[in-house]
Amino acid sequence: MAQIEQSDKGKKKKGAQKKMSIHVDFTPMVDMNMLLITFFMLCTTMIKSQTLQITLPTNEKIEQQDMNKAKESEAITLIVTTERDAEGNVKRDDEGRPMNVVYYYEGQPDLTNVVDGKLANNNIHKEAFLGNDGAVQRGIRKILHDRNKQVLEKIDKLKVQWRNKEFSPKSETNDSIYQAKAKEIRNDSTLTRPVVIIKATPEASWESLIGALDEMQINQISRYQIDNINQVDSVLILDYIGKNGK
Amino acid sequence: MGKVKIKRKSTLIDMTAMSDVTVLLLTFFMLTSTFLQKEPVTVMTPSSVSEIKVPTANLASILVSPEGKVFLSIAGEADPTVADGEWATEPIRKEILTKAVAEYNRIHPSKKVNLTEKDVEVFSKLTTFGVPFQNLEKFLRMSQTDQDKFISDMNNAGVGIPIDDNKDLEKPNEFQIWMRAIYSSGNENLQSSMKKGEGIAVKADKGTPYSIVHHVLDNLQTLKMNRFSLMTALKTEQD
Repeated sequence: MAQIEQSDKGKKKKGAQKKMSIHVDFTPMVDMNMLLITFFMLCTTMIKSQTLQITLPTNEKIEQQDMNKAKESEAITLIVTTERDAEGNVKRDDEGRPMNVVYYYEGQPDLTNVVDGKLANNNIHKEAFLGNDGAVQRGIRKILHDRNKQVLEKIDKLKVQWRNKEFSPKSETNDSIYQAKAKEIRNDSTLTRPVVIIKATPEASWESLIGALDEMQINQISRYQIDNINQVDSVLILDYIGKNGK
Repeated sequence: MGKVKIKRKSTLIDMTAMSDVTVLLLTFFMLTSTFLQKEPVTVMTPSSVSEIKVPTANLASILVSPEGKVFLSIAGEADPTVADGEWATEPIRKEILTKAVAEYNRIHPSKKVNLTEKDVEVFSKLTTFGVPFQNLEKFLRMSQTDQDKFISDMNNAGVGIPIDDNKDLEKPNEFQIWMRAIYSSGNENLQSSMKKGEGIAVKADKGTPYSIVHHVLDNLQTLKMNRFSLMTALKTEQD
C-alpha cells in the first residue's frame, strides 16, 4: 500500500542523494472512518428529550376550611379528552391531527334549572387544540390568552426589552434578569390572572394532557393544577354531548 | 513518422485530505454522542415548548408502555470523584436491588426472593428493568438476548412492575417498594434531585390513555413524590 517511488529520471549527478517521494494510500483508512461515522450517526440521539416539571398537590386529606379555594371569577376548568374509535385508537381529523378536545367552564359548574332531564344552564363549552395561526391564537389557546391578557401584555413588553438587551449587554445576565422579572409578573396578584384546573377523562391521551400543561407555559399562567375528574364534570359533558352531538 | 507516446498517468488519488475530514467528523460524533437507550418499548413522547433538558445523571425514569406496563431505569452520579464512586450507576443499582428485595421479603415472608451475588451483578448492568419480584430470579438468570425478548413481550403478564391503587404505605405495592428503595439508596445527589422534581421523569407514549398514566402519577402522589418531570420532545413549528 505504501509506495516509495524513485523520482530520478536518470539525469541527476551521480553521488547525489536519491530523492524519495513517499505515498501512503489512505483509501482503507477512509473506508474504515466512514464506517465508524455511519455507526455513530445511526446510534446517537442528537436531540435530548425535554421535560415539563409539574407539582401535584398532596394526597393527604385537607380540611375543608383550610383549602385554598380558587376565586370563582378566576377559576377556569379544562377537561381534556380524546376521541377514540371502538378499538381504542385515537381518531384523527382530516389533517391527520389527533382529535384532542377540551371542554371548559368558567367558575362553578351550573347544575341548576333542569328541564326535561337536560341542564338548561349548562355552562360547559367545547374547544380544540389549534395552536397559532400566524400571530393569532386559536382554539383553547385564545380563551386562555384572553383570560391572562394583563400578564401577557406586560410580558410582551418585557420581551421587547429583553430582545434589545436593555437589562444588560451580557446575554446571560440579560436572560436571568428577564426570567426573574417575568416570574414576578406571572405571580403579580394585582393583575387578574386565571386559576386553571386541568382534568382529564380516562380516555384522554397523554398527549392531550401534556398539551394542556403546555398551554399554561405558552400563556404564562402560573396557577394551575391537575385534578381528578368527578361526577359533576361527567354529567356536564354527557349533557353537552346529548345536546350538541360529539 | 514516429509513434506518438501516450503518457501513462498514475491514477492514485491523494486520500490524505479526505482522511483528515473523516477523522474530524468521527471525533465530532464520538464526542457529542449519547447512545440510544435500549428500551423494551419505543414510545413517542408528546411535544412541548419547555426547554428544560433531561438530566443524564441521578435520574430515575419511569417508562409507561401503552399497555400500562411500567419499567424503571436508574442512573447514578456521573462524576466518579463524588463519594469515591459509591454513588455511580452500578453500585447504586446494586444497593437499590438489595434494599428493594429485602423490603419485599419483609412484606411477603412466604414468597421470599433469593438472589445470588451474580444476579445482583447482572442487575447492575441492566439499563431498564421491569419484572415482578417473583420473576426476578428467573429473569436475571436468562441470557441477555432472552432477557430482551422476555421484557419486550407486552402481552406477557409477567412483564412490567405491578402497580395498583394502593394508598397504604404500610403495605406498599411493588412499584412503591422500588421507588422508595431508589429514594433511600444512599446517593444523596439522587435523593435531592428527586426532591426537587428533576430526578423523577415519567415517559409515556402520545396516545396512551390518561387512565393508565394516572396510575403512575397517583402512586407517586401517594409516595409524597409530588414533584416530578414529564418527558417531552421539542415542539416543531406546525404544532
